[in-house]
Order: sequence, then C-alpha cells, then structure tokens
Amino acid sequence: MQYTLENLVIYPLIPEMFIALMAMFILLLDVFLTDAKKKLVPALSILTLLTAMIISFCAVGDAPVSAFFNYVIQDSFAAFSKGLICAAGIFTIVMSQRYMKGESHLGEYYVLILFSILGMMLMVSANNFLSMYLGMELMALSVYVLVGYQRDMLRSSEAALKYFVLGSLASCMLLYGVTFLYGVSGSLHFSDVAKALSHHEAQTSMAVLTGLVFIMAGFAFKVSMAPFHMWTPDTYEGAPTPITAFMSVAPKVAGFVLFIRVLHDALAPMLNEYVTILSVLAVLSMIIGNLAAIAQRSIKRMLAYSTVGHVGFILLGVISATEEGYTAVLFYMLIYLFMTMGVFSVLLLMRRDGLKGELLDDFAGLIHVHKGYAIAMVLLMFSMAGIPFLGGFWAKFYVFMSAFNAGYTQLALIGLLFSAIGAFYYIRVIKYVLFDSEREAFNPLSDKPLQAVLVLCTLFVLVSGFFPDPLIKVCQAALVGFI
Amino acid sequence: MTTEILDLNVNELLLIPALPLIAALISGLFGWFLKEKLSHLICILGVVASAILSVHVFCQVVYFDMSFYGNFWTWIVSDTLNVPIGMMIDKLTVTMMVTVTVVSSCVHIYTVGYMHGDKGYSRFFAYISAFTFSMLVLVMGNSFFTLFFGWEAVGLFSYLLIGFWFTKESANVAAMKAFIVNRVGDFGFAIGILAVWYYFGSVDYATVFLAVKGFVAQDIHMYFANMEVSVITFICLALFVGAMGKSAQVPLHVWLPDSMEGPTPISALIHAATMVTAGVFMVARLSPLFEFSEVALATVVVVGAITAWMCATIGLVQNDIKRVIAYSTCSQLGYMFVACGVSAYSAGIFHLMTHAYFKALLFLAAGSVIHAMMHEQDIRKMGQLRKYMPITYFTCLIGAVALAGIPPFAGFWSKDLIIEAVQVRDMGWVTSFAEFALITGVFMTAFYTFRMFYLTFHNSDRVDPQVKKQLHESPASISLPLIILAIGATFAGLWGYYSLGMAGTGAEAFFGDAIFVTDAHNPLITLEAHAASHHWYHFLLTLPFWCAVGGIALATFMYLKKTKYPAKIAAMFPWLHQFLLDKWRWDELYQIIFVQPARCIGQFLWQKADLGIIDKGIIHKGVVDHILAGAAKMRAMQTGLLSHYAFAMVIGVFSLLTYLILKA
Repeated sequence: MQYTLENLVIYPLIPEMFIALMAMFILLLDVFLTDAKKKLVPALSILTLLTAMIISFCAVGDAPVSAFFNYVIQDSFAAFSKGLICAAGIFTIVMSQRYMKGESHLGEYYVLILFSILGMMLMVSANNFLSMYLGMELMALSVYVLVGYQRDMLRSSEAALKYFVLGSLASCMLLYGVTFLYGVSGSLHFSDVAKALSHHEAQTSMAVLTGLVFIMAGFAFKVSMAPFHMWTPDTYEGAPTPITAFMSVAPKVAGFVLFIRVLHDALAPMLNEYVTILSVLAVLSMIIGNLAAIAQRSIKRMLAYSTVGHVGFILLGVISATEEGYTAVLFYMLIYLFMTMGVFSVLLLMRRDGLKGELLDDFAGLIHVHKGYAIAMVLLMFSMAGIPFLGGFWAKFYVFMSAFNAGYTQLALIGLLFSAIGAFYYIRVIKYVLFDSEREAFNPLSDKPLQAVLVLCTLFVLVSGFFPDPLIKVCQAALVGFI
Repeated sequence: MTTEILDLNVNELLLIPALPLIAALISGLFGWFLKEKLSHLICILGVVASAILSVHVFCQVVYFDMSFYGNFWTWIVSDTLNVPIGMMIDKLTVTMMVTVTVVSSCVHIYTVGYMHGDKGYSRFFAYISAFTFSMLVLVMGNSFFTLFFGWEAVGLFSYLLIGFWFTKESANVAAMKAFIVNRVGDFGFAIGILAVWYYFGSVDYATVFLAVKGFVAQDIHMYFANMEVSVITFICLALFVGAMGKSAQVPLHVWLPDSMEGPTPISALIHAATMVTAGVFMVARLSPLFEFSEVALATVVVVGAITAWMCATIGLVQNDIKRVIAYSTCSQLGYMFVACGVSAYSAGIFHLMTHAYFKALLFLAAGSVIHAMMHEQDIRKMGQLRKYMPITYFTCLIGAVALAGIPPFAGFWSKDLIIEAVQVRDMGWVTSFAEFALITGVFMTAFYTFRMFYLTFHNSDRVDPQVKKQLHESPASISLPLIILAIGATFAGLWGYYSLGMAGTGAEAFFGDAIFVTDAHNPLITLEAHAASHHWYHFLLTLPFWCAVGGIALATFMYLKKTKYPAKIAAMFPWLHQFLLDKWRWDELYQIIFVQPARCIGQFLWQKADLGIIDKGIIHKGVVDHILAGAAKMRAMQTGLLSHYAFAMVIGVFSLLTYLILKA
C-alpha cells in the first residue's frame, strides 16, 4: 500500500477523534468555568462518551473497515468493546461525583478518564503493533495519574508509583517482544506477521519464541494475570475507589480484546505455543486469585484478587480460540462490567462516621441498616460466585463450556474447582451482610446517581440471569466481522 | 377417549374450589394488613359462597339428573403420560361437596369465636380455607392425579394445622407424627396410582373404569415379592394402604388421636368430617376397581372391623374429651370401611355424611367446653357443666345420641344399614367377624359417648374453682354452628334414608352410576327385599338398637347413679385398664420397631459418618486446612516491595521462555 494522501482513510476513526477533540475542549473549558459551573465538566464528559459510543455503533458495517494505512481497523468486535469501555467510563464518572468532591483540579480528572478511554479505543481497533503500543501507552499514562490523583494521600501515591514502575517494565517487555517479531517478519502489521510466521522454521526459531513470551508478558500485566498481577492489590487499594472500579473493568476489556486480536490475527500460527503459555497463566491466575482473596480483610483487595480469578476464567475462553470461546469472553466481560460496577457502587455508598467503609467488617449487619443495599450486595455477590440464575452463572457457564467443547477438559475442571473455592469469599460477604449483627452505627449514603447505578447493575445481573440468550446473540453478532 | 358430559355450568364448578383458594391466598398473604375482621370475613364469604354453589349443583345433579365430566387444562404431558385437570361431577361427588363445604362453613364461623385473639388468626383462616380448596379438588377431580394432588394437599394442611401452635413441643411432635405416618400410606397410594398408569396407560377415571372389565376378563397377573397376584388386587391393596393412612385405620391409626393437639375447629373439620373420610370416598369412587378383587374387599372389611372394635375399646377409658371423640372417629371410619368392603358403598358414604354432621357437632361442642374451661381437656376435671352452658349441653346431647345410634337421629340410619348389610353379605369368617365387631362396637360406642357426656355435663362438680368463676356459655359465633350442625345431626339420617334413598339399589338408587356394584355382591338388594315387609317399628327388633340402648343405660348407671363403680371396676382389672389407657401399646411397639432403630441409624450417620469422617476428616483436615494454608502463603508472597513484584514478573517471563525452548 502506498502511503499517499489518497490512501489515508480517516473516517472510521471518527469516534476516537471526537473523544480527542472533546477532551481537549473540556480541558480548556474547565479553566474558564467558575466553581459554580464546574458541574458542566462531568456532564459534558458523559455526553462525550455517550456520543462516542453511539458513533462507534453507527460507524460499523458488516465488513471490517481499515484506516490510516491499515494501522487501525474498525469492525463490530471493536465497536462492541468500545461500547463496554465507554459504559465503564460513564459509570465511573457517575460514581466519582460524590467521592471526588473537594479534590482540586477535578477538570483534569475527567479529561484523564477521557484520554485513557481514547487509548483503550485505539487499542481495541489496533491492527498494527505500533498503533497498539500507542493506544496502550496513552491508556497507561492516563491511568497512572488517575491512580495517584489523591496525591496528598500516601497510599494513593504509593499505588501510582508501583503501578508506574511495574507498568513501564511491562511496556518494555512488550516492546522488546515486538522487536523480535519485527525482526522476523519485517513488518509491524498483524497480517504480515502472521504471514511470516506461517513457515515452519519461523515457528520454531528462538527469536519468535522469545518475542511471543515477552509480548504475552506485556499483555498479562495489563489484564493482571498471575504472576504478573502483583501490582493489582496494592494499586486497587490505593487508588480512588471509582478509579479502582474503572481499572478493574475498562483496561481489562481493552486488554482482552486486543489480546484476542493479536492472537487471532498475528499469532495464530503459534497456536500450540501460546495455548501452552496461556494455560499456565490461566491456572496460576485461578489459583492465586481465588486463594489469596480468601485471606483478605479489605474488600478492595479482595476484589483485586477476585479480578485476577475472573481473568483466569476469561482466559479459558481465549484459550479455546473458537467462536464459541470468544463469544463467551465477550459475554463474560459484559456481565463482569455490570457486576463490578454494582459492587463498587455499594462500596461507595458505605459510610461510617464519614469514613469510607472498605473493610469486610464494615458490611456486618448491612441488612439491618439498609435493606436495598443489602439485597443488591447479596445478589451481586451471588452473581460473582456464579450462582444460578444470575448473570455471573451464565458467564462462567459459557466460558467453561467453550473450554470443554474445544477439548480442554482439564482446564475446565480446574476452573470449576476454583470457582467453587472462590464462592467461599463471596458468600462470606453475604454472611456479613445478612447474618452478622451490626458492629458500629452505620450511616449509609443515599446518593441518587450511585443508587441508580446500583439498581441498574443489579437489575441487569438479575435479568441477564433469566434471559441470557439475547445477550449471547449480541456477543455472537459482535464477532461476525472478526472471525 | 371418553365423551365429555357438560350438563353443568363450567364456571360455577370452577368457582366452587376457586373461591376458598382465593380467600386463602388473600388472608394468608395480606393477613398482616387485613387484621382479624377482614381476614375472617373474606374466608367465611368464600367458603359460604362455595357452599351455596355446591348446594345448587347438588340440586341440579340430584333432582335434574345432570352430571359433568370434562377437562379444563393440561397439567402434564410427558411421552405417553397425559394428565389433564378436569372434573367428574356425579351424585357421589356432590354428596361429598355439600358435606365438605357445609361443615367447613360451620367451622369457619365457629373459628371466629374460638380463635379470637390468637396471634396466627388470619394464618389459621388461610389454612382452613386452603384445606377446603384441597378437599374439593380431591373429591371433584376426574383423574388419579388430581385425586393425588388433593390427597397430598389435605395432608399438608392437616400437618400445618396440627402444628398450628408451633411453639408447643407436643403439637410439633404430633404434626410430624401425622405427616410421617401418612407418608407410609401415601407411598402405597402412589404405587397404586403408578400401577394404574403402568397397566392401563391412563390415569383418568373414565378410561380406567372402562378398561377394567376387559382387564378382568384377561385375568392379568403380576409378581409381587415372588407371589403371583392379580393386578387389580395389587392396585386395590396399594391404594387401600393410602386409605389406611389417611383414614387412620389399624395399623396406621396412631396419628389421629395425637392430632388432637391442633386447635379444636380443625379436629372437627379435618380429623372428623372431611380429610379422614377421604379414604372411604376413594374406595367408593374406585368401586369399579375394588369390585373385581375379592381379596381387596376382604382386606377392607377385616381392617375396618379391627379398627372399629379396637378403637372403641380404647375410647372406653380415655380421659381427654377430644381423645374420646378421636377414637370414636377411628372406630366410625372402620364402620364405613366395612360397609365398602361388603360392597354396600352407598351405606358407607351415607354413614360418612351423617357422621360428618354429628361428629363435627361433637367436636365443636367439645371445643365450646374447652373454650369455656380455659383450655382444660380432662373430663375428670369437669362435671355439671349443663348449668352453665345450656346450648352446648343440648347440642352435644343430640350429637351423642346420633353417634350412639338412637332413632330418629342421623347415626342410627346409616349405622343400622351398615350392620344389616354385613349380616346379609356372606364372605365366610370375614363377615362373621365383622358382624361381631360392629355389634359389640355399637354397645361400646354408646357407652363411651355417654360416659364422656355425663362426666362433662352431669356427675359431680369437679371444676377448678378458679375456672368456675369464668364459666359461661360460648358466644354466638360458636353456638350458631352448633345449632346448624345439630339440625344436620338430627335430620340427615332421615333425609338420606327416606328422601334421597341412599339405601336403594339399581338404577333408581340414589348414587346410580356413580358407584359400581356387581349384583352378586350387593347386599342392599337383599335388604331392600326384606324392607318391604318391615313395619315402622322394625328398629325395635334389631340387635344394634338394643346394644345402643344397653350402652347408654350402663353409662347412665355407672356415671349418673353409682358413680363409685367405675373406679372399682378399673381396680378389679388393673392390667386391662392400663392396657386400654395405653391405647393397646401401639406407640410403644412402633417406638421399638421403627423409631429407635431409625434414630440409632441416624445418630450413627450423623455423629460418626457425617461429623466424624466427612466434616472433621475430609472437610476440615483435608480441604479447609489446605486452602487456608494456601491463602496464607499467597498473602505472604504479597510483600508490598516493588522489587519483589518486578522479580516475580521477570522470573515469570524467563521460566515460561525456558519451558517453551526446552519443549521445542
């Protein structure tokens, strides 16, 4: 392809460009707004994300469209994930309203969220290692700052620093891996790499294996697979709670979608090798995530490990490398988005004498204080544990089913086992909520936007549990242009 | 395959069971909101309306010869099993419907006075209304499955109502006993129904009844416990096991006396008038099956006769007013079964109907006494109550003479008919034994009824002075049902015998096609022939009448005149007296045979197998300890040091790489 102006197709990138422009506009606007009118910023950010979401859905046709000299690709797979990412962004902004009140320079906070989402959108549309890296770094840099946003809090700064250092290490690994593939294939386009790898001698060469492992390590860090997960609990705990919620969903969605794209488009010839690597990582994630969560007292740390466990389950779908498996992954992430946002909104609603309730003990006797929150929490936890008939059950069901159908029976069985062990710490929360007596006086918040998020998420989990079919159909449709 | 008969109004028929159900749902779900007055109003309205509709249907069926057979919905479709929900309305059904709804209405009204102020007031109403619904489903259904549904539902409400005062230990135990004993019976019942489906390929009455004759002609046999039995006999015996459980026949009778732990209104409704008679109804309903099995009929007679006699002997010495009546109920149910066994099904149903009125009356009267006595049930602590409670006294007297079998009160007509039928029908030693049991039973019945009556209302005054201050006649809501039922207890017999012709035979008989009897079996044909030559004073010449009079006379002598005699007689035969007081020691026997071994096994499995091996050994030492150790290890790995984290990543990368290269 000639790198001429005529070949520079840019219209598929309208959603990304829109977000970029709006983010810069909001940044400028924020400076000129008086304090009374600062509320405009989050409202405008939400509007931006909503619009971007709609444009993404509208812009996508049946066939994939590539742009920027094939550096990015726009298909329904990407559009679906952009929808999830934007939804996570909207939830986060809604949830931040109360929590971040009183922090300085809030305008930047929302702009950073927008930029990180822009990065993620680039990631899921990437068709080239360079654009992929660009998106990833944009996301990562924005999130580093968001994690350390409460910079006068030691915990927050520590979390950001740890995340930054380790994140840089991971980026280095990823980049290092990419150079090997470039060396072998002479191109950074996914399809060229796949072509170069289709020869047998290429597949067995040391260079390719090294490149593969290092790229995997980079991805594994982004979606917190064990043993590249060590940053997760510390960062989750230190970050502002809405950002924790954001991080446990949006980058995971972007990471997994990109992961699937790279594996399917560029590394497909290395199926045997990458399945071996992923199987090890999946089992480790399930073990470490589910076991370590049992020992936690802080609910944010517990949820961090729970994320690791969930990532292990999602990986089973990636490993199966079938349409069924990828559908299951998308479905899992869809359900996971709502479950996680719901749980975090309960967390944000917890208050005791003005302190933020973040320990498991803080949930003791919630049922006596606020029935609605308690019931929502119970449903969400049951869903996380995979109890039928709630959304979480079907998420796990389809993932295990796809692994089983693809012939990975042992992995599916290990998944089942750890899902059973994992049920323990979810149900322990339920025990605190329902059966323990209240330890100290609660004064739970009644914050309308947060409650709305909670109700929406709980309803989604409940309804999707009884009617998973339409959602599965949507996920299948999302994969049409991709496979 | 059967043609539908749709003479009656479908909506009316559906309303009859639906009204009590709706009332039950409303007062059950919203009782907390409705408070006492609205709860009972809704339930009473529902049941009384259902009773009025039942009477209307009764008139249509009896006087205009209409009937109904049809399906409304499909309940289960599974391969060849097709179970519709439908109704079969004929004379047998309407008799039951009227009996059930009228007694139920009386009990509903009575409850207003009796349960007033109870914590579970609306719950109680919800239960009894739901019970009425279940009982109506049981009698109105047109298939074995609806029968089974009703059968189990009445069992459930019986359980819930016996244990109504669930904070009382004895009530809970009695409720469980009733439920478990009924499980034994229902197991047999379910096997019978499954056998019907297996051999006939259908579960609706009409199809099965039609197929029976062909079945008998082929003489199909099956093997049960290495014995060759006719299929019909097997089915009938299995179904009869169910009837024994529900209708409290020996040896499954032990739950009924204990069920008196429940509030008295339900003793009247469930454990006297309706649910316990379901077994008799079932045998009559399935007469086309039972008629073709001599063995099953003989079993029915023997079991009924043993129960009738044995429970009467126990009733002689009991001191709890409700238990006396409860044993009397067992005994009277025995009479009904004997009637069915000798193929005088209509006599059995006739007695069922009259018994429902006078026994409900006796129970409600007893309840009135108990209510006035501040929940004292021991007749040794009563006496001379007639002064305080005239209405209760008179109505109870009517119930007592009706039960004893003195003409023209209801009990006489039906009981006399049964005994005569037994005398006429010849089944060898079976009928001879039954005849002896029933006639001596009549004597004992009259004796224990009046013993209870005298000790309660006459005799010496032994009432606790504390209680005496409060003694008064019960409120109108209690006495009104007593009066209604007293009218029933007085005239139901005459009405059934003369007006409806329940003793008749052939096509012009009351039940007509509803009950199937082969001419060779039917004892009523012979009786009808005899009756032509009888005068109105015929009863003076019968043995049962003089037995009844004798029983009353002896009771009068012992408890009204020479009040010292009973104690003396008891002292003369201490062993026998104790044996009867202990109810023939059935409970003790079951304790040794079933309860203790079951407890031993349960204790072993619980303590040793479950707690010892699975919980402590496998779960705690094995699974839980390892998981906790693993969790602790994982936690220890999370040091919080950045260098450790980076180290983990690097190690991860290099071990993966090493692994891949070695493998390649």
